[in-house]
Amino acid sequence: MNTHPYKPNIATVQDTWYETFGDRCIKTFKVVFDDEEVRDNWTHLPGQCAMIGILGTGESMISISCSPTEGKFLRFSVMRAGKVTKALHELEAGDKMTVRGPYGNTFPVDEWKGKNIITIGGGIGQAPLRPIIEYVRAKKSEYGDLTVVYGARTSADLCFKGEFSELAKVENTSCRLSIDAKEEDWPHYVGFVPALLMEINPSPENTIAITCGPPIMINFVLQNLKKLNFPDDQIYTTLENRMKCGIGKCGRCNAGNLYVCKDGPVFSYAMLKNVPEAFA
Amino acid sequence: MLDLDKLRALAKETISRDDIKYLIGWRQGTYGFRTSPHFVGNLEDAEQLIFSPLCSSNLATYLTLAEKRPVPRGAQPDTRRVAIMVKGCDSRAVVQQLVEQGIKRESVYVIGCPCEGIIDRRKLEEKVPHTLERVEARWENGKIILDLPAGRAAFPRDEIVAGKCLTCRYPNPVIADVTVGEDVEVRGSAGFEDINWLEVKNAQERWAFWRDKVNSCIRCYSCRNVCPMCYCAECILDKLNPAWIQRSVNVSENTAFQLARAFHLAGRCIECGECERVCPVEIPLSHLNRKLVKEVSEQFAFTPGIDPEAKPLLAGYRPNDREAFIL
Amino acid sequence: MKLSKDKLADFLAAIPGKTVFGPQLSGETLRFTPVTRPGNLCPTVNNATVPPKSVVFPQTETMFRFEQGATDIRTAEPSGETVLFGVRPCDARAMSIVDNVFFWDVDDPYYLIRRTNSALVGLACLDPCVNCFCTSMGGGPASTEGLDILLTDLGESYLLEVLTGKGEMLCQSAEKLLSQASSADKEAAKMLQEKAAAQISRQIDPSGIPARLPALWESPIWEKISASCLGCGICTYLCPTCHCFDMQDETEGEESRRYRTWDSCMFSEYTLHASGHNPRPTRRERTRNRINHKFSYFVDKFKVMACVGCGRCINLCPVNIDILDILSQVGEQAL
Repeated sequence: MNTHPYKPNIATVQDTWYETFGDRCIKTFKVVFDDEEVRDNWTHLPGQCAMIGILGTGESMISISCSPTEGKFLRFSVMRAGKVTKALHELEAGDKMTVRGPYGNTFPVDEWKGKNIITIGGGIGQAPLRPIIEYVRAKKSEYGDLTVVYGARTSADLCFKGEFSELAKVENTSCRLSIDAKEEDWPHYVGFVPALLMEINPSPENTIAITCGPPIMINFVLQNLKKLNFPDDQIYTTLENRMKCGIGKCGRCNAGNLYVCKDGPVFSYAMLKNVPEAFA
Repeated sequence: MLDLDKLRALAKETISRDDIKYLIGWRQGTYGFRTSPHFVGNLEDAEQLIFSPLCSSNLATYLTLAEKRPVPRGAQPDTRRVAIMVKGCDSRAVVQQLVEQGIKRESVYVIGCPCEGIIDRRKLEEKVPHTLERVEARWENGKIILDLPAGRAAFPRDEIVAGKCLTCRYPNPVIADVTVGEDVEVRGSAGFEDINWLEVKNAQERWAFWRDKVNSCIRCYSCRNVCPMCYCAECILDKLNPAWIQRSVNVSENTAFQLARAFHLAGRCIECGECERVCPVEIPLSHLNRKLVKEVSEQFAFTPGIDPEAKPLLAGYRPNDREAFIL
Repeated sequence: MKLSKDKLADFLAAIPGKTVFGPQLSGETLRFTPVTRPGNLCPTVNNATVPPKSVVFPQTETMFRFEQGATDIRTAEPSGETVLFGVRPCDARAMSIVDNVFFWDVDDPYYLIRRTNSALVGLACLDPCVNCFCTSMGGGPASTEGLDILLTDLGESYLLEVLTGKGEMLCQSAEKLLSQASSADKEAAKMLQEKAAAQISRQIDPSGIPARLPALWESPIWEKISASCLGCGICTYLCPTCHCFDMQDETEGEESRRYRTWDSCMFSEYTLHASGHNPRPTRRERTRNRINHKFSYFVDKFKVMACVGCGRCINLCPVNIDILDILSQVGEQAL
């Protein structure tokens, strides 16, 4: 069993596919640990991340975008951006990647039992929200209503496209998708996610709102959630920063006095509103 | 001799102008023999300006270091000029930045300060222990005078100034919109006798010398950051994709770093000596750069940072350029 | 106990099976390197430029090795025991402060091994430099915090105080070299130490700083302080409490390794995201972060300020950015 905090485990890519295309495309990897003991002993909860990478290239902290309820595998949705993510995008089924973790805190899934959950995502921001959505779906009777609000610039930029129609069939669950500009054959909302949120007009009563996405979207979503009278401790988000060690030693991922790798990545708005660097 | 009141009056007049954003000069440091770069934004700040043999910083580096913040929507960019005080060597940096179009002529207002030589803090500290009380210095009749707590101390100039000052051929700024003080005589002679002691060594001896020095390098990049000519938006050293030079600190990578920087400065280094001054482990970087200055001078009869109309040396060629080194 | 100076070489030689590190000239720089000839030690000159943190937290350290294309990872745990000789009390205190980070929640295996296998033989500072301010930061020229032995230079000999079990074990092998210290010796040492503490002229009361910093987040002082900053790594690399590092992979021929190497929050790409976004885009934000980290965030997490008053950053900053000056400004600025 590997207890060395920096030594990664080896995992094999079982399946991989593109969610979106273009220069900053997003590719999803479904991976399984090679070592049986690691596979059996791995536990994680929604919200947590892992350092994934390639030996000889480096590592990148990516949120684990599957719920532990889905099976003994891990899913990562990676945007092609820099040195490591470019190398990760070269991987195909059968290739190896390194994985260490899980790191960070979790969405407080026990505290949220019995509550309604509304997730508000934009673009790649849906990746850290997917695990909590799947977790709640798997344990639906323990939670209230689930509302998934998700938007992207165009329909091609939406991640996990095939999953929403099935998700909408789950009891007390609704999916509201949006794209920025009109497209032929698009039957859903056209406009920005924060505006769609106002149209849905969710009640803050016994409801938790979780938002992830581009900074500008988060900014407006937070403003609107306040307009809808959501208390600060009922609004959650995840932060990200450049990371190296993932365990609070290398010093670089702090937003104010909070280390995103250890005190986060899950934060309530109550924790962040007095941390100016949180939204830098 | 420089009149401080005149300097401060000029500074106040300058920053009161509509077309000047701020002024960069020097002020007394926080202890002993130190001075620090001083950014003057108002009349009160101007009162602290000094110009003395302790003013070592080459302020031209700030012309390319200052970050340009994004302009808020609807607002106009601030196109006012930056006023900058320059010694002779510093002014060559301004000229070279102009030649390379790193800065525009209309964005700077150059205040030339003829200079009789800058104290080398290490040479001074061998003679006089450092004090907490702040010390003033001035040039007087070929000597450098220090007002120490124990009393006035006078040193012959050549004993106490930096190596670069001993070979300096441009003590009077080569570019200036206004000048403070009188022009001074040129003391340095043409030629490169200062690096002869290295040149006479054979290749193995030279490598042994540099290997020992480069082994001390802690890759703090102070030499690169202080250099007025190092202003690439993305330095080759910071590039990870590909990683031309690794971030690991050892003789191999350190040598690659030092040589890369020296070669990137070939034909551009204006010999201000700041790299050597700032190095916390006292690597004699000036000697490395002087060697390349010598090569450029001998191979191409070129001196950078003198003529604002000149073309950058390595950006062009002349048909009769020497080719002996091409195999 | 007392150790005569002419017996120092024998004392060091008597330490069994441990590599002794001490302040020696490496090029022109005083730093802690393995002692092969005790004559090369320079313990009585000013403090080493590169702090002894470089022994337990080397600038570049291999984490593990592997071959390109293979999946076998061989971790590179350090081995061997060390004795750090001539450590100033400020640097020893600093190591105890840095321990907080490397043992926070998860033990850093490399640091853990090097640190637990090291013994610190301290040397009291009898001639503090102009910029030392250890006494303002909870330390002092003869502070024993973090040391296993403290030596005080009495001229011909050292007064030797054993402080920990580790220190005792070090002395066991050299028992015959040590003599009894008289009460006059102890008096002399005490007087020298007090004289040294009195010599420290730069003082500050930092106690109010952590509480003031949050309210000064948008203060104009950060712009002013950082205007002359070159963004180099001198203050961070030479600071005994700074501990940030980068991790990279490199390949030479068939062999590859993952290593870690010192990094600085003052470098522009320290927090640069792959997307191109940088939450600390200018020197103003980075300077503000550095001061807040040392005097506010570190206090929040570990109840101690990450500064021991060694003065290196003041002595070596090329543009005379002075941390005491910054702290005074923080102390005086209207909230």
